[in-house]
Amino acid sequence: MTTAFQARARAAIGNHQLHVALDRTTALLGLRRSTAVGSLDDFESVRSHARHAKMELLRHLGDSLRAFEERLLENGAQVHWADTGADANRIIVEIATRAGVRRVAKGKSMASEETHLNEALEHAGITVIETDLGEYIVQLANDRPSHIIMPIVHMTKEDVGLLMHERMHVPYSDDTQVLAQYARERLREEFLRAEMGVTGANFGVVENGTICLVTNEGNGRMVTTLPRVHVVLMGIEKLVPTMADLDRFLKLLARSATGQKLTAYTTLIRGPRRAGDDCGPEDVHVVLLDNGRTTILAGETAEILGCIRCGACLNACPVYRTIGGHAYGDVYPGPVGAIVTPGLRGIAHHAELPGASTLCGACRDVCPVRLDIPRMLLALRQEAVKETAQPIALRAGLKAFAAIASRPRAYRAAMKVMRRVLRARATDGWISRAPGLAAGWTASRDLKAPAAQTFEDRWRAYRAQRDAS
Amino acid sequence: MTGDARTAILDRITRALRTARIPSTTDGDRFVGDPEKVALHRKDVGPSFQGGLQERFLLEARALGVEAFDEPSADAVRRRLAAVVDGLEVLSWNGDRLPYDGSAVIPGATLGTAPIRQQAHAGVGVTGCHAAIAETGSLVLLSGPGTARTVSLLPPLHVALVRPDDLVPTMAEYFAINPRQLAGASSCTIVTGPSRSGDIEMSLTIGVHGPGRIVVIIGP
Repeated sequence: MTTAFQARARAAIGNHQLHVALDRTTALLGLRRSTAVGSLDDFESVRSHARHAKMELLRHLGDSLRAFEERLLENGAQVHWADTGADANRIIVEIATRAGVRRVAKGKSMASEETHLNEALEHAGITVIETDLGEYIVQLANDRPSHIIMPIVHMTKEDVGLLMHERMHVPYSDDTQVLAQYARERLREEFLRAEMGVTGANFGVVENGTICLVTNEGNGRMVTTLPRVHVVLMGIEKLVPTMADLDRFLKLLARSATGQKLTAYTTLIRGPRRAGDDCGPEDVHVVLLDNGRTTILAGETAEILGCIRCGACLNACPVYRTIGGHAYGDVYPGPVGAIVTPGLRGIAHHAELPGASTLCGACRDVCPVRLDIPRMLLALRQEAVKETAQPIALRAGLKAFAAIASRPRAYRAAMKVMRRVLRARATDGWISRAPGLAAGWTASRDLKAPAAQTFEDRWRAYRAQRDAS
Repeated sequence: MTGDARTAILDRITRALRTARIPSTTDGDRFVGDPEKVALHRKDVGPSFQGGLQERFLLEARALGVEAFDEPSADAVRRRLAAVVDGLEVLSWNGDRLPYDGSAVIPGATLGTAPIRQQAHAGVGVTGCHAAIAETGSLVLLSGPGTARTVSLLPPLHVALVRPDDLVPTMAEYFAINPRQLAGASSCTIVTGPSRSGDIEMSLTIGVHGPGRIVVIIGP
């Protein structure tokens, strides 16, 4: 039986253009990250501090959220709480409707992808424009992002040129500078016309209620400066305790995501415009989103709530590099997605995602918060096995294996038989079709024939020979 | 409605924390912003600062593609500013917010109080800064009376006049030494190099939404 995930993964594996794009992007981002890590004195200690800060924050999440809310209110922002994605969408549509908003300019926000906010706003008759260059192109193409920080890693510049030519009626070009210029002109008009800006938040600072947003293009600044209403949609886990922690996280995020020392624009929002300000929104709303995060918090994968969405684990992951982001079937791809998606949407519908990993640990090695992603993937695999029905043959087979493997003599005897059987099937030292349950393993690759003697046999022979001489 | 959700979410968190598997971590020498640790942090980045704050700032800014000029006198700063904005429509912070009496050479500049379409038309935005971070070559810009956010955002060219007194070694130190300045503003932007994108095939594109060109002029 082929699952939806397997079908998507298989299609991606056969897509040559995708592989060229994935190889180039993930290798370059990985290289930039390693170089940038060297530019921070004592990177490892900064990582340790960041990890500690996030884990402590999760341990006191309730109190932190209460304190954060209090500071936001003091700063003049309005605070909303949303149980589900649908609730968040309803709250934001209400804010827009009450303020008479017809046009919304959006900064890049994973949370809004998660809740399908654009559809909800459009359903209410409100026009929504994505303003991050990559996300704008995704919106033009009616596509989905395939990387957390590089949404159109799956597209070539020719694809983008053709798309803009067709959808924006501009002359075709495959020069990225020209294409960016097209977007700049079109989006500039949108920034000036939009009545409401919607963004996510990279961080919320508990000690003073600051919302921190980083963008390289400047769209984050535009949507928090020009429209008269600003709505922040953020997961309840996006907090950091202090400004000193924020400094660390900003350094880690920029280095891990794009290999920069700092992102071009770090925007710190301290509430609506104040007396004497020439610009800035009159109203700032912060929507705190649960949508399954408290379910994740209750279990084995609580740690993943420390993720800062830098995308470094995607670039390091041999599976992501092979199948790309769309194969994961939801908003969050890669190793982080394989944990977050089953957590947010339920393991039953995403039971195969934790299996989309070789458990090589490359993700943990690059994670700025040093999240133990392989441990969480293993825990989810156990959960998936418990939650979903396994074939009787597999269950019986594994039970038999456990019985044999825990008895050394039986194990040695069984291995002896197995070696004979496999060697008899080998051609030039390779087996292209294994018997029984192992057939699945050889469906897409060959198995090396086992050696004639085990190491144990050889060791015993060697010892006997040495003792004799 | 929202009140109910608030209670429900906070209750779920309390319940979740009873079973949550959160790995134990240690505090280490966590930097929390007290003066002693600020000094320690400063020492951390010590070796790279041997040439002094200003040299480090210029080095980092230039590495980002910022055009940085180090001028010997206020007069030279104004001459440089006049040359850079020559022939361009100027948008500017209020005159009293610019150091080195920079407003003297940009008479009739549009201000942040002007209609937004008029501001968007400008060819250059002239600002001072509230701090300049040596470690990363960044400019700290706070919004407030006379220091509109639009000036450093809408035009394709941003010119910043920086005084040596504005320089701080690190972002951490800026946050630690001046929390009140930050608290006094509705928004703060830390600008680290020109607007850029690598979204299309990872090819570097400069000047996407914000200014593609930044000129920094430091005076005495």
